[in-house]
Amino acid sequence: MRSFYIRDLKIEKPVVQGGMGVGVSLSRLAATVANEGGIGVIASVGAGLFEDDFKSDYQAANQRALRNEIRKAKSATKGVIGLNVMVALNDYKEIINTAVDENIDILFLGAGLPTDVPNEIGIERYKSSGVKVAPIVSSGLAAKIILRKWDRGFNMIPDAFVVEGPLAGGHLGYKKEDLFKEEFKLENLIPEVLAEIKPFAEKYGREIPLIAAGGIYTGEDIYNIQKLGVKAVQMGTRFVATNECDATDEFKNEYIKCTKEDIVIIQSPVGLPGRAINNQFLKEIEAGYAKKVTCPWLCLKSCAAEKAQYCIGQALANAKEGHLSEGFAFCGANAYRIDKIISVKELFAELEEGYDRAAANDAGSN
Amino acid sequence: MSVEQRVKEIIMDELGVEEAAVVPGASFINDLGADSLATVELVMKFEDEFDIKIEEEDAEKITTVGSAIEFIKKQLGE
Repeated sequence: MRSFYIRDLKIEKPVVQGGMGVGVSLSRLAATVANEGGIGVIASVGAGLFEDDFKSDYQAANQRALRNEIRKAKSATKGVIGLNVMVALNDYKEIINTAVDENIDILFLGAGLPTDVPNEIGIERYKSSGVKVAPIVSSGLAAKIILRKWDRGFNMIPDAFVVEGPLAGGHLGYKKEDLFKEEFKLENLIPEVLAEIKPFAEKYGREIPLIAAGGIYTGEDIYNIQKLGVKAVQMGTRFVATNECDATDEFKNEYIKCTKEDIVIIQSPVGLPGRAINNQFLKEIEAGYAKKVTCPWLCLKSCAAEKAQYCIGQALANAKEGHLSEGFAFCGANAYRIDKIISVKELFAELEEGYDRAAANDAGSN
Repeated sequence: MSVEQRVKEIIMDELGVEEAAVVPGASFINDLGADSLATVELVMKFEDEFDIKIEEEDAEKITTVGSAIEFIKKQLGE
């Protein structure tokens, strides 16, 4: 696998570990991935839910937890550490500023359009920090809008893009009925996003690397998707099934146990479809049974908390901690293929081997 | 072409709707099938076509054909 650059930032392996909330990718996983040469990504969403005082001061708990996680990760690696932030979070702006304070290397911004980042960080501060920004998009149109707003508003462009296709895990940026349509397949979205990026890359005279995500599972997959013009991949599911993943064994066991049929699309209370492993909790929700919702603080702008059947942040946090009767696991479409927990090191070795095999086959057939 | 007509043309083109549907009261999202991304795109097209800048807080208020025409006319000093 070849290294790639995001501006001046060199990433040894073309693998970004996707941010997985709530609490599934924190400092331990991120630092381990960064030590292997990929980008390790901490998920910011709900980080504060694991603090003792989250009920009384959720916002403060969130910022504190986040700061600690970034510091822990940074002290454990010299590699590249990113933070995944949902633009739809009510404390989105505070989170990205805390991350800049803590010298995060790169921000992955999804679940909304990050059109105003330089302003939100402060233009001078943004420039001097050297922080990289990679919006996560699900269409060429979203990439175009972000690029145009940055270009017009700031005379700047984001440093990279992630295109997340409909086979990804967790919340998905598609309508439920579009998830399995041909035109929304990752390999069909990639050229669309590349076409939107190209004129801006030319105008600014620099590369805007595209990172592909959603359903990528093997080293062969990485090799094949790179042929479409992406520089790197973002993977989530594979990293859940590692020793270093920050979730409990009970959570990871959901991945080992699940079959293809167990992987379902749910309608999340925040108004987006999501991919998850079905269980008793989700079956009760499906049957219309309302869980008790205590919302200490409205964390997501789009959440209809007063009408919600359950709090998805709390359900995901419960699952992460191993309380699967009070929550459920998000997962990617290929989670059923997981059959054991390995180390991050072993995962990278396996990806490398698969990549080399695909490259050798390719060379042989030409 | 009048401002009204130019706005209508952009909407028809962007959202793929018939002229008859593009009435002042028509909401981009509720009546003309746009999603939130398409409305942002639409506002950017207006900026290009009329060479104006539409701030975020103004863009949020442009939700119908009529409100788009009215806002653009005001910007152009008509």
